[in-house]
Amino acid sequence: MIDARPASGRRLEWQVAVVCDIAVETPRVKTFVVRVDGWQGHSPGQHVDIRLTSEDGYQAQRSYSIASPPEDELIALTVVCVDDGEVSPYLHRDLRRGDKFELRGPIGGYFVWTTAAGGPVQLIGGGSGVAPLMAMLRHRERRDHHERAMLLYSSRSVEEIIYREELAAMAGRDPDLRIIITLTSQQPERWAGYGRRIDKAMLADVCFPPETNPRSYVCGPTPFVESAAQFLVELGHDPLSIKTERFGPTGG
Amino acid sequence: MTPSDTGFALDGNAAASLLQEFFACEVTAASLRCAACGATRVVGALPVYALPMGAVLRCADCEHVLIKAVDTPHGRWLNMMGAEYLRF
Amino acid sequence: MNDSPISRGFRSPRQTDNLGNRIPPGQYLTRDFPVLSAGPTPHRSLDQWSFTLGYDGTLLDSWTWSQFQDLPQTNITADIHCVTKWSKIDTMWQGVTFDDLLRAAGLRAPPAPYLMAHCDGGYTTNLAVDDLVGGKGAVVTRYAGAPIEPVHGGPARLFVPHLYFWKSAKWVRRLSFMETNKPGFWESNGYHIRGDPWKEERYDGD
Repeated sequence: MIDARPASGRRLEWQVAVVCDIAVETPRVKTFVVRVDGWQGHSPGQHVDIRLTSEDGYQAQRSYSIASPPEDELIALTVVCVDDGEVSPYLHRDLRRGDKFELRGPIGGYFVWTTAAGGPVQLIGGGSGVAPLMAMLRHRERRDHHERAMLLYSSRSVEEIIYREELAAMAGRDPDLRIIITLTSQQPERWAGYGRRIDKAMLADVCFPPETNPRSYVCGPTPFVESAAQFLVELGHDPLSIKTERFGPTGG
Repeated sequence: MTPSDTGFALDGNAAASLLQEFFACEVTAASLRCAACGATRVVGALPVYALPMGAVLRCADCEHVLIKAVDTPHGRWLNMMGAEYLRF
Repeated sequence: MNDSPISRGFRSPRQTDNLGNRIPPGQYLTRDFPVLSAGPTPHRSLDQWSFTLGYDGTLLDSWTWSQFQDLPQTNITADIHCVTKWSKIDTMWQGVTFDDLLRAAGLRAPPAPYLMAHCDGGYTTNLAVDDLVGGKGAVVTRYAGAPIEPVHGGPARLFVPHLYFWKSAKWVRRLSFMETNKPGFWESNGYHIRGDPWKEERYDGD
C-alpha cells in the first residue's frame, strides 16, 4: 500500500521558475503556470516550495500543490489570495508574465496517486485542497484511463468553485468519473446538490463502498481533513487506504 | 486514525522538503513507530510543529517527539530518538 | 544573501522603518505576533499550576498560582526578537522578575551558574543565570494588560527579551539550576547555546 519509491536522488535544489501564464480561477484564486528549465517531472499530489527575495535580502517561502499533471510540460500552481499574507498578495497583485521566482521540488511521496495505483479512487477536497486532487484527475484523463473515480468537493459557493468548468467538462466526457459538489455557504436557486458541510451521511452516499477497496485522498483545511478522514474510518474504510494533506487551520 | 483533539495544524507533508534532505527514500511515505507508545503511522500523516524554526514531528497518539529536524547554515540536524524505527 | 534572483517588486511587509538601532542584524519589524510552538498548546488549569525552583533534585521553593500572584509584580516593556527574523518592539508584559523569585525563595545567590527551564509539554531551554539576574529575566503572566493567551505561553512563560525569543520558554513550570550549561530542546539540535540577537547567535556554529 505504501509507495516508498526512492527519492529522485537529486538533492532538492532551488531552480528558477518563469511565469508563462496567469489564469483567474475565482475572485480570490489564480493559477500561475510556470516553466522551470530542467524540471524532472512530478507525481500527481506533490507540491513545490517557492521562494521570493526582496531587494533588501528578505526572503519568504511558501508551499503550493502542483495542480498540473505530469503529462504537462509547464507547472501550474493554484494559489488563494490571503489578504494579510506575505506571499499570495504579491503573487496575485504584482506578478506578471515573464517574472521569475525560485522554486524547488517536487516534494512529498506520500500524498500521491497515479494510474499505476489503480482505482477506485475517491478524492475529497475542501477549498484550495482541490488543487493536488486536480493534478490526479488531469493525469487520469490525460492517460485516457478509466479507473472509477469520484471527487467530492466542498466549496462555500458556486463562484468559489475552482476549475468549475473544467470539472464539469471532465465529468461530462467520462462516465467513470463522478464529481459531487457541496456548497456550504450559499446555494443558487434551484440548486439540487448538497448544501452543507461534509458529514458521515454524505460520505456514505457518495463514496465507493469499503469492500471495493478504494484509495482515498483528503485535502484542505486541517479541520476539514480531520473530520472527513474520521468519517471515512467510521464508515469502514481502512485507515491505511486514506491519505491526507492538511493545509493548516484555515487552508490558505 | 482518531483526529487529535489538540487540533494540530500541519502534517508531515508540510515538513517534507526539510525531511527529504536527510533520506535517500521518500520519507513522507515511510511508516514510523513511536518509541514511547508503539503507535505506527505514516510520516505524512503525523502532526508537525515549529515550522519554520525546524520540524518537530510528534506521535499523533501520545504527543511524544518522534523527529526533530533543523536546517542551519552550518549543517542539518536530525534527532530521531523518539522513533523506534522508520520503515520504508 | 546567496545568489537568489530578486523577485521584482516583492517587498517585505516587515520594514525596518527608522528603528535601525533597535532592530538586531537580520531582523525585520512585525506588527503582528506570530505563534511558533514545538508542540500542542497545553491546557493547564490555574488550580493545577505551580511554579518551582529546584537544584540537583532538591526543591528550593514552589508557588501555587495565587501565591505567585502575591509575589512582587513588575511591568516590563521590551523589544522581542525571534530567530525566524521577526522583531516586535515595545511589547508590554507583567510578571515576577528572576531577582524577586530568588529573594522570595530566600536565596542570596543562585546555587549554580546555569539553569534549565522545564515547561508543560516537555519543552526545555537552558540559560546562564547571568542572563536572568539584574532584571534581565522574569516569569510573566500578563501581556498587553491581559492574561497571556495559552497559544502565546499562558498562564506563565519565561521572559528573557535580550536573547532570541525561543529562550522565553512558553508554559514554564520549573527552573532547575545546574552546574554546566546543558543544552535544551533547540540548543541540542542546531540552535545556538546562548542566542544573543545582537551577535546574531542563531545557530550552533555562529
